[in-house]
Amino acid sequence: MKEVIYEVKGVSKRYGSVVALDGASLKLHAGEVVGLVGDNGAGKSTLVKVLSGAHMPDGGQIELDGKQVSWSSPREALNAGIETLYQDSGLAPHLTVSKNVFLGREITKRGLLGKLGFLDSKAMEEKAHSELERVGIAVPASNRSVSQLSGGQRQAVAIGRAVAWARKVIILDEPTNHLGARQAGEVLQVIKEAKKKGLGVIFISHTLPHVLEVTDRIVVLRLGKVVRDAPTSEFTGDTLVGTITGTIQTIPEEDA
Amino acid sequence: MSSSQQPNLRLERFKAVAGNQNSILLSVLIALAIVFTLAEPKFFSVATAGNILTDWGSIVLLAAGQTLVIISGGIDLSVGGTLAISGVTSAWVMSTVLGFDITTSGSDAYPPLLVGGLVAIGTGLLVGLVNAILITKLRIVPFVATLSTMGATLGFAIIISNGMPIGGPNDFSLISPINPTWMPLSWAVIGVIIVVTAVGLFLHKSRFGLHTYAIGSNSFAARAAGINVERHLTKVYALAGALAGLAGFYVYLRLGAGSPSSGVMRELDAIAAVVIGGASLMGGIGRMMGTIIGALILFTVQSGLIMAGVAPDWKKVVVAVLIAAAVAAQTLRPQNRAR
Amino acid sequence: MKKNYFKKAVALAGAAAFAIGLAGCAAEEEAVVAPTTGDTAVVAEDLTIAFVMGAESDPFFQAMKLGAEEEAAAQGVTLIWQGDPSNYSPETQIPIVDAVLAQQPDGLVLIPTDPTALQASVAKAVAAGIAVANVDTRVGDLSDVLTFITGDNEDGGAKAAEAIANAIGYADGETYEVVIGLTSATATTNVARKEGFEATIAANYPGINIVDVAYSESNPEKAATNVNNWLTKYPDLDGIFAIDGTNASGAAAALESKGLVGQVALVGYDAYPDNVAKIEAGIFTALIAQDPAAEARLAIQTLVDYLRNGTAPANAEVVIPNVTLDANTSAADLVKYTYVAN
Repeated sequence: MKEVIYEVKGVSKRYGSVVALDGASLKLHAGEVVGLVGDNGAGKSTLVKVLSGAHMPDGGQIELDGKQVSWSSPREALNAGIETLYQDSGLAPHLTVSKNVFLGREITKRGLLGKLGFLDSKAMEEKAHSELERVGIAVPASNRSVSQLSGGQRQAVAIGRAVAWARKVIILDEPTNHLGARQAGEVLQVIKEAKKKGLGVIFISHTLPHVLEVTDRIVVLRLGKVVRDAPTSEFTGDTLVGTITGTIQTIPEEDA
Repeated sequence: MSSSQQPNLRLERFKAVAGNQNSILLSVLIALAIVFTLAEPKFFSVATAGNILTDWGSIVLLAAGQTLVIISGGIDLSVGGTLAISGVTSAWVMSTVLGFDITTSGSDAYPPLLVGGLVAIGTGLLVGLVNAILITKLRIVPFVATLSTMGATLGFAIIISNGMPIGGPNDFSLISPINPTWMPLSWAVIGVIIVVTAVGLFLHKSRFGLHTYAIGSNSFAARAAGINVERHLTKVYALAGALAGLAGFYVYLRLGAGSPSSGVMRELDAIAAVVIGGASLMGGIGRMMGTIIGALILFTVQSGLIMAGVAPDWKKVVVAVLIAAAVAAQTLRPQNRAR
Repeated sequence: MKKNYFKKAVALAGAAAFAIGLAGCAAEEEAVVAPTTGDTAVVAEDLTIAFVMGAESDPFFQAMKLGAEEEAAAQGVTLIWQGDPSNYSPETQIPIVDAVLAQQPDGLVLIPTDPTALQASVAKAVAAGIAVANVDTRVGDLSDVLTFITGDNEDGGAKAAEAIANAIGYADGETYEVVIGLTSATATTNVARKEGFEATIAANYPGINIVDVAYSESNPEKAATNVNNWLTKYPDLDGIFAIDGTNASGAAAALESKGLVGQVALVGYDAYPDNVAKIEAGIFTALIAQDPAAEARLAIQTLVDYLRNGTAPANAEVVIPNVTLDANTSAADLVKYTYVAN
């Protein structure tokens, strides 16, 4: 088994009086796809935000490559090589594909103009499309804003962006939402490619067949706690559903 | 790319230019000019162009800052008040503090005017920073935050000036057309054009502008991409304040005095120009050229109505129709329908 | 967590400041003796006169304040000066009058912002035994009002017409073009001045055509814009009548920027210090000055006379004449009539 690249230990998070996460732990190895599942309100989105640096946990530890880290902003997690695809994308609808891909990491012109922050739009256009193609996403070249693309194309851009930039970890929150069967299949293919490259992938989905198809391990969340963390081979469709809804009793994972 | 796609590209490009917001605005501007010239032939003259540009100068500075603010998803109602207090403070410094009064004119006035200009910009910058703190630190929505700064600045302007204009040194030739026969631009207007062009370039070509659009388009996406939204918005409101301060100085040059009543309601003119120019109050959409032409349209209407001898209340009707048309065009655009 | 504390601290500080301010207002000197009506003289000399004016931001009222303070000091009475900081409207004025009446002054000088809306306030004051005077503007029914002192706006307009005709060298048989720059279409001061101007022109100077009027809404920049456009539209324009201080400031600036000083006669209204200085420079042909200080002085004097000695004023309505300030006015008079604030 490859090394652990990303780990959270006993993280908790509450919003006001609502407890979203209650001592959840999760380990991710390089070249591994971990499925994160749970019912509505189980805490999946919150865990994603803690992993991506969008929210700080109230308690618990985060470790990257074995060293303790703390993200005070998404920028820090991004710089560390962790890319996140949020539910409902996280694309700015009025911006073009290339501007979205390079948002926050723009290519500036050389020299004085560059120091003032002037952008090299042509370079970004070219690079964006070549990078997306490299990870298997083909988006029509255009100057139109992302809002003019179809839902599936938008999703493809968002995934492509995450995969193109990721150096260590990719977190995908419901990436196959709004997609037809063929496009969903393409997304799963992208995940397999990322795994081959040695990235760690966290895959959140409601579509259990997809989870069973593409993951190495599945972590089940219920009411903010991890109730089962086991290799995918140990689940069937029925037992997975049962674990999520709680009809199948589980022994809580002990802290590592 | 296959050859069958080439003619489509050409057609696409033509459609893009013709349907381009800026082309439509320019056509409206030209149409208005024609209508007003028919009503009063003297409208079509270098003098009228000079009058329009002189009026346009102060508002387009306000509108340039407002464009950035609106694109970022906010609004700044305080720019009129900032204009007033900047002009008044600038006049007060030049006359009361430094001792130059209205008898200092011509090029003698340049040294104090330089100081006055910097004071005006600095005052505007301060107000902008206050707005930024209210909005990013105290988390007050921009409408409410800038509404209160508007009241405070207008009030302070009256207090400092005792309600009367404060006269000071001036060179009126800076604000008059350089050559009444063929050059309607004044040095002040040329300065304004340079500033607004620079702001426009930053908006459209730089990282700063891109982040402004991103925040207005989807502030969550901007934050997730690693942009420090609060720090960026601080820069945006500070810049809007500084531009309003510069506008206050422009009005000082026009009047030879800092006038506390010169700012009232000017923020509405600025917002009108931005909306007519094609920006959306929801954020994420807007272009500086649109604002520039939008402001030109406003003052063409103003001058045109005066020249044509039409009751000035009609200006409000015309402006209301223009704004409604601009907002309707906004809503009907294809990229908004696909959302 | 830190954010919550900060917000709470700001709110507490604000509330504390507000409370202290209120306490300070309440702790004002009170009138020692309640006034009596009729012929019996008031026992104690310590009178309080309240003065509720239009809008603090208007220099006209600031000049009035100086006169009021002078007279109150001379008469040995306490002055309560009140009014909205910048809003000339009955909605803001009525609550202020109520608050002032609660302090039980002996006399009230009121500048009603609306003739009907403030009638009830006057009745309230009179019912409480307070003597009331009106200055500058009046309520509709003056029967309970001791005295009404005002400047004469129609006379002001007439004087402006004379000044313009003089400046352009009016000669019978010639035609001339003038324009009027107003602030608002409905303000009674504006309307009266315009009517006085038009009447005198029609009667004495038929060769003068008023070719245009425009409004500036108290904004001098708008006034400048109007003048710019007029000068383009009427290249032979002879004269401009700017109907109040803000309009006059803007009009003067426009003339200066076009380099037409001295070629177009400019008559303004209200003696703003900067505009008075421009008479000497030839930018203004003349300024029609009111005497707000005199109006205030006379109002307070009348009230005090009545309260102390029971003497009703000889004239219930007093009109203070305007003064034309022009190149022939003496330096001393220029200083005397310029609107000065503290």
